[in-house]
Amino acid sequence: MEPAVSLPNPTPSSTDAERSFQKAILRLVKGGAERLAIEAGQIDAIIDPGNGNAILLPAAQRALIERKTGFRSLIGLAFDWYWELDDRYRFVSYRGAAGDAGGPAEEGIIGKTLWELPIDNMSESDWRTHRQQLEWRVIFRDLEIRYLDRAGRVRYLSITGEPIFDDRNQFKGYRGITRDITERRQVALAQEPHRFQPAVIDALVAPIAVLDQAGVVLSSNQAWRAFAATHCGAGAGVAVSSNYLAVCDDACGTEQVDGRAIAAGIRQVIAGERALFRYDYACDSPAGDSWFALSVTATTGNGNACAVVSCEDITERKFGELLLELELTVARCLADAGTATAGLQAVIRSICETQGWDCGRYFCADQAAGVLCFIESWGVRSAVIERFLEKSRGMVFRPGAGLAGRVYQSGQPLWILDGRRGAGSPTALAPETGENGAFVFPVEADDKVIGVLAFSSSKIREPDDRMLEAVHSIGSQLGRFLRRQQVVDALRRSEMRYRTLNDLTSDWYWEQDSHFRFTQVVGCSPAGTGDILGLTHWDLPNVVLPGGWGEHLSHLAARWSFCDFEFAIVHPDGKHAYYSICGEPVYDEAHAFIGYCGTGVDITTRKRAELALRESESRWRSLAELQD
Amino acid sequence: MARKKDRRASDPVSATAVVMVLYITDSGPNSLRAVANLEAICKEHLQDNFRLEIIDVLEYPLRALADGIVVTPSLAKLSPLPTATVVGNLSDRSGVLRALGIVE
Repeated sequence: MEPAVSLPNPTPSSTDAERSFQKAILRLVKGGAERLAIEAGQIDAIIDPGNGNAILLPAAQRALIERKTGFRSLIGLAFDWYWELDDRYRFVSYRGAAGDAGGPAEEGIIGKTLWELPIDNMSESDWRTHRQQLEWRVIFRDLEIRYLDRAGRVRYLSITGEPIFDDRNQFKGYRGITRDITERRQVALAQEPHRFQPAVIDALVAPIAVLDQAGVVLSSNQAWRAFAATHCGAGAGVAVSSNYLAVCDDACGTEQVDGRAIAAGIRQVIAGERALFRYDYACDSPAGDSWFALSVTATTGNGNACAVVSCEDITERKFGELLLELELTVARCLADAGTATAGLQAVIRSICETQGWDCGRYFCADQAAGVLCFIESWGVRSAVIERFLEKSRGMVFRPGAGLAGRVYQSGQPLWILDGRRGAGSPTALAPETGENGAFVFPVEADDKVIGVLAFSSSKIREPDDRMLEAVHSIGSQLGRFLRRQQVVDALRRSEMRYRTLNDLTSDWYWEQDSHFRFTQVVGCSPAGTGDILGLTHWDLPNVVLPGGWGEHLSHLAARWSFCDFEFAIVHPDGKHAYYSICGEPVYDEAHAFIGYCGTGVDITTRKRAELALRESESRWRSLAELQD
Repeated sequence: MARKKDRRASDPVSATAVVMVLYITDSGPNSLRAVANLEAICKEHLQDNFRLEIIDVLEYPLRALADGIVVTPSLAKLSPLPTATVVGNLSDRSGVLRALGIVE
């Protein structure tokens, strides 16, 4: 509140005026002590007996003016604009530094409320809150607004205000100050990314560490710190200020290869020989085997930082790939296998090697007897495993008996964590190794369980859901293969029987193309195998057919089957050899004629006997005629 | 400005405590000097046994009028009786002590 003081205009040159003023003042003072004090210059003001107002003496006036000027100067340092609002919160005064283009133009503000100005950082909710403050007549501080100034630049202002009341305590409006905080705000905004970065890096799921030229970890994110605390493996457990390269170099045991490879890659990146280094590696963690994809990228312009190392947990993907690879391997093994035994061994071995099982056994379902019989096995080279597999030979399970019998009965895979305390039925490897894990799954064909594959390990194995899903495919593949092998074996046996019979009834088997040329001859033909391929029957050397080939050719042209067609061949010693052939036309799937096939029999002995008999008969007839 | 200095604020003002009112004019040079002089005298002679109220007549003009104050700075001793008034910047140390009833 402005003091109610009558302020003459004293100046240093107005000494005479001061004297006359003092005389006038002295007339107001009756007491001697007061007069003496005034004359001694010890008085600042005289109280007007009429109204109580203080009449300042010149020295006091100067002191107060100086103080007010100084105060204004200080106030001017503290804010950029001073403003006043009426009782409806409309600007009635807005004063700031002359010519300052940073603040709103006074003419654009007077008569408007704050929320009618083009301010773009206040929501309707913000304004409601602000208006509520004004209604409550409270002091508001540092209300930050953003707007475009007359030059079109973004400005940030901080506004503080207090309510004004008159002598009767009636609300008159608000007054306050405005400070331009654009520069400070822009600095803060410029620094925002720097404050932002650690939070962003900490929010990343992948563990990240920044290395300097020597491989020392300069900084890391939250995921890296958690990773370092819980995982082992090449380069794991490295905190800030530790040397990652040294840890990788010092890796030993199974981690040595990974450690050296990673260290070499990081050094290449730091040296600028490559921009990116990637490396997949496995490590044991408390939760089991894990796979990580390590990436090292070069970085420049960040102080001492030279490389950024990040690790991505690819365990899920890796196991998926391994299972896919296993399925492909199984398919390849089965495609390459010539026999059921070879196929079974290859599949069991693949699963053992890729999934870390010590051995696997296949039990085949004997449908007639209704039991599972041990058929095939594969195991790692170990006396314990070999003893275990040896004991398995001849093993038979009834449905529901043992792990294999239970899987045979249920048709569902079974995973046993520990054979000693597992799902009731101990597996046979447990007594051999003290503990074991087992995994048994059915082999199916035509929707029937035709066998069971059982895998055992001397270590406890956690159930693998992905593997449990994959075994359906593997079991089906193997089942189809075994079923096909059964059919092939049956066909082979049938063919063998047919061949045996064929060998008993004919001397050779032949095939011809559509031009009746030999394409295949199996067995002892009249002129051997190689000599007659490409020839027709009538092209055979020294062939003799007394009646000619005409009738036979007409039969062939008509695609007739023929039987016991006989011809002779004159050997170099002049003797005749006799042959009888049978043949039938061959058609392809489109019923197009593609040639003939048939068999041949050497009938020389019979034919000679017939000829001899005929000659003998002829001789007898001649003799008989002579006798007559 | 109305300031009160009661060095025995937690206790009722004792019979021997000196109760004073100093009338000043904001930051007038004599007013500032009077405050400083009185502070020094109180510290030296009254220790904590006094109560002082400082009235800025620019802020409370009617108070000075009501109390019969003619000029500032003025010091009014209200108790113990007899009352006394000293005008000026209180640079007359012996006069102030006499008015306050303090014998050196």
